[in-house]
Amino acid sequence: MKAEISWLDDPQTFRINQLPAHSDHRGYQSVDEAAEHDSSLVQSLDGTWEFAFAQDPQHRPVGFYDPDFDRSDFDRLAVPGHIELAGYGQIQYINTAYPWEGKHYRRPAYSMGADQPEKGMFSEDPENTVGAYVKRFTLAPALQNKRVSIEFDGVEQAMYLWLNGHFVGYAEDSFSRSEFDLTPYLQDGQNLLAVEVFKHSTAAFLEDQDMFRFSGIFRSVRLAAKPALHVEDLTIRANVDDAFETGDLQVALQLSAVDQLVGSVKVSLLDDSGQPLWTAESDAASKLKLTTTINHVHLWDHHDPYLYQLQIEVLDAAGHLIEVVPYQVGFRRVEMKDKIMQLNGQRIILNGVNRHEWDAHRGRAVTMEDMLHDQLVFKENHINAVRTCHYPDQDAWYDLCDLNGIYMMAENNLETHGTWQKMGAVEPSYNVPGSLPQWQLAVLDRAKSNYEMFKNHPAVLFWSLGNEAYAGDDIAAMDKFYHDVDPTRLTHYEGVCRNRIYADRISDMESMMYDPPREIEKYLQNDPDKPFVNCEYMHDMGNSIGGMDSYIDLIDKYPMYQGGFIWDYIDQALWVKDDLTGKPVLRYGGDFDDRHSDYEFSGDGLLFADRTPKPALQEVDYYYGQHD
Amino acid sequence: MANTTKLNVIFGDVTLGLSGPGFHYIFAYDRGGLESLVQYGKEWLYRTPKPAFWRATTDNDRGNGFSNKSAVWLGADLFSACTQIDVAVDGQAIPLPIAPENNKYTDHETAEMVAVTFTYTTTTVPATTVTVTYTVDATGKITVATHYNGATGLPELPVVGLRFVMPTPATGFDYVGLSGETYPDRMAGGRPGTYHIDGMPVTPYMVPQECGMHMDNDQVTVTRATTQNNADPDRTSYSLTVRQAGKPFAFSCLPYTPEELENATHIEELPAERRTVLTVYGATRGVGGIDSWGADVEPQYHVAGDQDHDFSFVIDGTIKY
Repeated sequence: MKAEISWLDDPQTFRINQLPAHSDHRGYQSVDEAAEHDSSLVQSLDGTWEFAFAQDPQHRPVGFYDPDFDRSDFDRLAVPGHIELAGYGQIQYINTAYPWEGKHYRRPAYSMGADQPEKGMFSEDPENTVGAYVKRFTLAPALQNKRVSIEFDGVEQAMYLWLNGHFVGYAEDSFSRSEFDLTPYLQDGQNLLAVEVFKHSTAAFLEDQDMFRFSGIFRSVRLAAKPALHVEDLTIRANVDDAFETGDLQVALQLSAVDQLVGSVKVSLLDDSGQPLWTAESDAASKLKLTTTINHVHLWDHHDPYLYQLQIEVLDAAGHLIEVVPYQVGFRRVEMKDKIMQLNGQRIILNGVNRHEWDAHRGRAVTMEDMLHDQLVFKENHINAVRTCHYPDQDAWYDLCDLNGIYMMAENNLETHGTWQKMGAVEPSYNVPGSLPQWQLAVLDRAKSNYEMFKNHPAVLFWSLGNEAYAGDDIAAMDKFYHDVDPTRLTHYEGVCRNRIYADRISDMESMMYDPPREIEKYLQNDPDKPFVNCEYMHDMGNSIGGMDSYIDLIDKYPMYQGGFIWDYIDQALWVKDDLTGKPVLRYGGDFDDRHSDYEFSGDGLLFADRTPKPALQEVDYYYGQHD
Repeated sequence: MANTTKLNVIFGDVTLGLSGPGFHYIFAYDRGGLESLVQYGKEWLYRTPKPAFWRATTDNDRGNGFSNKSAVWLGADLFSACTQIDVAVDGQAIPLPIAPENNKYTDHETAEMVAVTFTYTTTTVPATTVTVTYTVDATGKITVATHYNGATGLPELPVVGLRFVMPTPATGFDYVGLSGETYPDRMAGGRPGTYHIDGMPVTPYMVPQECGMHMDNDQVTVTRATTQNNADPDRTSYSLTVRQAGKPFAFSCLPYTPEELENATHIEELPAERRTVLTVYGATRGVGGIDSWGADVEPQYHVAGDQDHDFSFVIDGTIKY
């Protein structure tokens, strides 16, 4: 297959040759490796890559992936990271309008009619910057002679992949893992990997989040080898009976084999001290399902995030252990009862925040240190819930939320704000995805990636369809997808309040943003159909968080009021060196000559961009502590 | 021990001087306010204190148009002038003792208590007045009473306060009040206690704005180490204490005026810290938080322009009981 640049213009082309999305479990070669979380089957490709930047597709180094291409003038770039923060391409912050506002007149493909595909919009865009990345690698011994895939955890916004000159595949969806099978193109010795990253494609219309607009390989890249028998996918359902006494564990596995699917699988459940509670064995098969019950099950919740350990051991036909897959299991039950969302039979109260991934040095390429810090801030301030606004986060964040009992509203990578709201008014004349069939598969794919990757995390209580994308058949289809595949969680979407004819088909909860307390009270007094959640409230821009009691008071007055998520966790600003003084200073939207911009609207956090707390945090601590 | 000393009163031609053990204050008729507050040889005033009406626009104020609606108070904060001065000695009002009225006094006048009232007329339309009365007793204690006259047609105020600008930067301040930066609608999380703050931290909001408010205080003590007096090489720390008179007060202690903060779009644009701006507030608007693009601060946290506002506090003298 040949890569086509026209894919950038086509909303119906968003994944070519990608492996299907699956659980974020990891395979190890031994029980010891699994205990250490250090898999010899994995080879990181993070680090220094060769790199060439082009201002637009017309000036990109066409054919740079060819082993014979002259790349002597390529620069060096650190992966993961944003191209703009390495000094290539202009930094821009903009909220609701599209980043090309005032520069290009654009309507999304097919939004003005099925006969208007808008060819060339991005492939011929004179401002669509391009990054050509090259990485040479030699397979580590443990990966040799195995099937090997490559995982890109985040590439913004569209990427083409080649190995040793062969086209491998294409991916959009900047915030979901994209995985490709490299096996057919691997060679002994050195391999040449090439990635071409375009800042914009039709995905740009779906990724209009209120944030700095970056491009590049901004999350980790790794090679992952599959033993002869391999757990491709894992679905854990850890529920509990009506008495909340007996756990009901269902483990579904999908296996793949390099040739014949023969061997066996041993599945064990251990308690948190490592004592085995249950073990089952089965012959290998492409699909397996193992179930058990656990008496006196220790449930998972915010205050007591108890995690059992599932251990899957895969043995070949000779009985040799060839893969170990560990996974943390939290037993809990999320349900809607009497129009109130419950966890383990208790009304859920969300003392939440919206969290963009942000680091003032690194943009959205956050580090484990950042994540650990954020978890500590949550713990110290009675924050019990997080909305992953407005995209899936790094997968380590979900592990930390499991571990620390943080309730997650796991949001899709979707926002199309500029297609339906202009100058503050609802004006959906060219909204996408809307009910356009040409856009539906792309958003469903995003829903599927989010579900498959994070379906086993007990912390995820809610699937969020996205943010501020209006409402139509396509988002209704996303809602249906989640309900079809996952009866154990509830769905969330605020945008249906802009188009209420979809109220029965979209979102299990009534979600609003920035609704004044008295308006919420009116809703709650009027025998509503759905419980109420503030998906965004208490807008902490600058010196703010006044009047929080007016929201908190609703918790005790109305059982169907279930709290919300403060906007937001951390200011988005970037460290730069002040030309005048040489000192480091924090800069925000508009400070990079970026126009059109929304300037200081990038700073709405409970924390300043350098992660020091704003004074208002003590108020949040106080009020969230009332119902913790 | 009962104090038996009396105030020395110096009936100057353009000022009124008051002194006692360890203190000397000068009220300037020409400058329209308390010009000099010296305790133990250290000057505490850079310019005469003036009524404070403005706060540097918060993001919320900008978003909901509060600063547009209340912009007249920025002018009033900068330009309101003293239009009347009244003096009372031992409770008796006297004619303003400028020359030649003061020819009747001597070089050894004393009193138990002297009160000087400055009336400031705002630059607003309609105009209104604020009176500030300093009542000084023989211990050097100054009781400050401020009265804002509400007037129909005036927009809501950001704040009503009295601003003291000190000649050199504070090394820190200590207060008995609530932890952290608090506002009328954001003070539930403030823990009561005694707090020491190093320097005069400006809260580093991305766009400099109103900050550093402390609600509900019994007292604040500002400490400095330097003076502008060329003949004073001493760098020993010295302090001035403001305490409540009947009910707790709000204050901020910052190196900048609201106008300096208002003009900056980034914290690094603020000038070098050269002075101390201690403002005592009788009323201050909440910060809000419903959103940052239109929702108003909740009504109970507004500061009405058409209602009176009164507040009092005490500046400690030099003789303690």
